[in-house]
Amino acid sequence: MNGQEISSTDPAVQASGSLNYRFDIVKRSRLWFTLSLAVLLVGLTSMAFSLASLGTPLRLGLDFSGGTLLDLSFEQAITTEELRQALQKHNLGSSIIQLDTTTSQDALIRMPPLLEEERLAVEATLREEVGTFERNLVETVGPTVGRLLLRSGILAVLISFGLIVVYLSLRFQLDYAVFAILALLHDVVLTMGVFAFLGLTVGMEVDSLFVVALLTIIGFSVNDTVVIYDRIRENRRLISRKVSFAEVVNLSLNQTFARSLNTTLTTMLPLIAITIWGGVTLKGFAIALLVGFGFGVYSSIFIASPLLVWWRQRRSARFVEEVNADRDPQQLPSDSPSSL
Amino acid sequence: MVKSSGSLLNRLAFLRGLIFILAVVVALVYLGFSREVRLGLDLKGGTQLTLQALPSEEVPEITPDVMQGVEAVIQQRINGLGVAEPLVQISGQDRLFVQLPGVADPDRAIALLGDTAQLDFRKGLVPVSALPRNELGEVTAGEDPDVVFERVGLTGDLLRNAYPQAPRRGSQTWEVLLEFKPEGAEKFTQLTRELAGTGRPLGIFLDDVLISAPVVGPEFARTGITGGTAVITGNFSVETATDLAVKLKAGALPARIQVIENRTVGATLGEVSVRRSLYAGIGGIVLVFIFMVAYYRLPGLIADVALLIYALCTFALFQLLGVTMTLPGIAGFILSIGMAVDANVLIFERIKEELRSGKSLYKSISEGFNRAFSSILDSNVTTLLVCAVLFWLGIGLVKGFAVTLAIGILVSFFTAITCTRTLLLTVMGIPSLRKPHFYGVRVEAAQS
Repeated sequence: MNGQEISSTDPAVQASGSLNYRFDIVKRSRLWFTLSLAVLLVGLTSMAFSLASLGTPLRLGLDFSGGTLLDLSFEQAITTEELRQALQKHNLGSSIIQLDTTTSQDALIRMPPLLEEERLAVEATLREEVGTFERNLVETVGPTVGRLLLRSGILAVLISFGLIVVYLSLRFQLDYAVFAILALLHDVVLTMGVFAFLGLTVGMEVDSLFVVALLTIIGFSVNDTVVIYDRIRENRRLISRKVSFAEVVNLSLNQTFARSLNTTLTTMLPLIAITIWGGVTLKGFAIALLVGFGFGVYSSIFIASPLLVWWRQRRSARFVEEVNADRDPQQLPSDSPSSL
Repeated sequence: MVKSSGSLLNRLAFLRGLIFILAVVVALVYLGFSREVRLGLDLKGGTQLTLQALPSEEVPEITPDVMQGVEAVIQQRINGLGVAEPLVQISGQDRLFVQLPGVADPDRAIALLGDTAQLDFRKGLVPVSALPRNELGEVTAGEDPDVVFERVGLTGDLLRNAYPQAPRRGSQTWEVLLEFKPEGAEKFTQLTRELAGTGRPLGIFLDDVLISAPVVGPEFARTGITGGTAVITGNFSVETATDLAVKLKAGALPARIQVIENRTVGATLGEVSVRRSLYAGIGGIVLVFIFMVAYYRLPGLIADVALLIYALCTFALFQLLGVTMTLPGIAGFILSIGMAVDANVLIFERIKEELRSGKSLYKSISEGFNRAFSSILDSNVTTLLVCAVLFWLGIGLVKGFAVTLAIGILVSFFTAITCTRTLLLTVMGIPSLRKPHFYGVRVEAAQS
């Protein structure tokens, strides 16, 4: 796509009259908000269902729930029943067993947390009753460790969020900062919603790497918003006051559109590569980042800026009513002559 | 002509820049690639354990001193395992984090680390024949060992050394040879003197389990066994004898420990992961390459060259800094490839804008770089912030992601800005490449 044949990129020249840009993004604010709300609704509903059926809003992986996972490659084809019968000897018959359907040789067995001796005993039974295997992976996470990991994960998300909030508050004035934060919250909550939905439908689990993904989304997605807001501030200085705030925002969005989209796209391309070619461990991680970055660029363009317009219009309407002019609401102290 | 001599001078300056970049790249690549890649245990196979020290009657509270003791003993036992580059780290109040990359037999290693290994020589109070036996006919200490054995304070901490010893002639089983410290030797002599000829056994207990109950012959009744050495016989194989010797030499753990987290990856799975990560990395670079050339044309191509330099430099730097590559680390690296090129996207979009507003190519390029800089800085600050949090709070393998992503972002400052600028300005020295068309801007637009 080549969406930047914008002939009037020097806004100062067109000091009066309407600006020349391609997409009127602000006009359709209602549509963008509705889209986000729809996704949010699906996410929240999924979380509620998940909470009712699993006890947690998202399907927790081994990292957080605790448990023992064995990934075994048997030398000959086996059946789930054989595995289950062998496990029943240790009262583990209700374990979750995933058998690779193409080969019937690779099995993932997820059990409650086992002590080392218990695990060795289970492995010995499987070897005797089902067949010899090569063990690819053992993961045992004790229940306390799981809770600890979950707690430090949530803490990390909160701290990162807090730091970004501080950063934004220092960098922008209050209302800009608030909406940038709202957009960020939008990205995180929607990503979690999508994973709650995936957890219910395809059994997608969240692990430590999902927390890492959330953190990365927080760090990366804020950039597009910052760039767009910078451009809005820059344009407000260059363009006559007669032009409405909505127009300026529209122009700024159009000017930064290609840039926002392309930086996100170039970051997504390697993630797509991981999703296609990477191993199982990284797949969920890459998908989380893809979803989050997608919401990130969407919220920067279609949520954060229209929200700002809505807010400014509301505020200036109030100012007009009050016929008050102690401070011009359109006057922005443009502290940083920032770019793009 | 003044103008051409100026551009000649410029060109010389860029040539210098080019040579500098080339030198840095060659040096880094030479230094980096001459080392072997350090693979984390999720790629090489190995075991990562979290051990928790448990309070008991003897050790009611896990103090930092106790943990240091646990750490020292575990460290010694691991040394006995012969694992390359193990990691032992106290984490939190009562936990110990252990990484054993490339360990051949993880189950054996876990057993070796987990036992308390409290050795105790006790005085038998009844003859061997009166001791209870299990279903295999082996002698045991029964329900309550204190009824049949008396503690005399001859414990593992009085040992100086322990070795596995090959089977004697006519025997199949290995033995463990013990060497006492002087105080231990004295106690041992005294104990054997008391027991000699009585038919009552010497009870050798490991973690309160009787592992051997030899009888001391009457010939030692006067002197006891002197010389400060003793041999534990039992049903030992070469492995179990070696492991027991390692445990005894390292001493007993000051507190009981339990494995509360175990992540063990088989070597085969590790190899598969390495291969798949390599595919993903190469696939990611290729996708970005194609996109950049397709969208940004000539500058895109230059960004691709810079990206290649980026990938090489970053990888070389990982090697120089001794970064261990793990799966999350590789993910961070691959992701950073996409983020590194973001800086170029910012610059090129700005250049396009400058071109469209009618500025000359040269001016547009230098403006593009100057004005995009603060955005680039901005966008990296937030990501670095998150990396810092992750590094601070993250544990184990997840930390690798923060490290590689952060290093990648820092390197990209150099490659995406300095390299791209030098390369772009060098290319501009070639007149036939100065058409706006090559920079993805339509001629009409540029002229309007």
